[in-house]
Amino acid sequence: MSDLISEAVNRLSRVHGVRGAMIVETEAGLPILAELTEGIDGSAVAALASSLFRRTDQAAINAEFGAVSIMQLEADGGHVIVSNAGDVLVVVIAEKIAQLGLVRLEAHRAAEALR
Amino acid sequence: MRQSDLPRIIAALKLPLEDFVRESRVRIVLLISGAGQVLAQHGFTRSYEVMNVASLAAAATAAAGALAQMTDARRWTHMHQAGKEQQLFIAPVRTPGVDLILVAIFDRETSLGIVQLFFDRLGRTVSGLPEFQQRLEQATQQSFERDLEAGLQRVLTDNTPSEG
Repeated sequence: MSDLISEAVNRLSRVHGVRGAMIVETEAGLPILAELTEGIDGSAVAALASSLFRRTDQAAINAEFGAVSIMQLEADGGHVIVSNAGDVLVVVIAEKIAQLGLVRLEAHRAAEALR
Repeated sequence: MRQSDLPRIIAALKLPLEDFVRESRVRIVLLISGAGQVLAQHGFTRSYEVMNVASLAAAATAAAGALAQMTDARRWTHMHQAGKEQQLFIAPVRTPGVDLILVAIFDRETSLGIVQLFFDRLGRTVSGLPEFQQRLEQATQQSFERDLEAGLQRVLTDNTPSEG
């Protein structure tokens, strides 16, 4: 399992424009593994991204849309993408210039592999 | 902590603790001195509950400190216990003047990561408060019970418990 997690994070962090990738425990919001460029507070991103994801997921379930598979935040400087892998989340921090389609695809693949 | 220091200390902690409760979404929180004196609280309605939790948390912190020394783990940053419905978080708040202890109880409304994140911010805020820049005199054995009671009465009358 740990090889699988390492491989998933490795692949994601190699995508052009990705500043960091993390596997985060969904319930606790704590990072399990992270590859981040300097200056990113991984613990803070993990806690806040998982909290937001859990609330979004709950909202989607209450609206009878089913569970959220991927959540994407867009800000002036970049994106945060969170992909649902059940007990864990795949969190990717990407720059504005990143190829979003590829980032989403890799995040989805990583989540599928970890399920 | 002496009774004469309590009013300004309790007043100084009120706002940072309110911010912590709002941001972290914990249900119950208690801030006590190392000796178990109650300095701030949110979520408790009965004084005996506060007293019990405060004394148990102070004892748990002292025991954890001794264990950390025995195992060369040095200073510990927090203790966490996850129950089925509720979780308990106990952590020392280190300031230049005195070490405090935070006790927080939370449920699925929040997570350990969020509690840790905002606890770190609370710790930085409290350790920067002017009230905690100088070594605070500890209560003597004779005055301890009286000061403990005074702190408890003050936080329970000053802070109207409210739901987060």
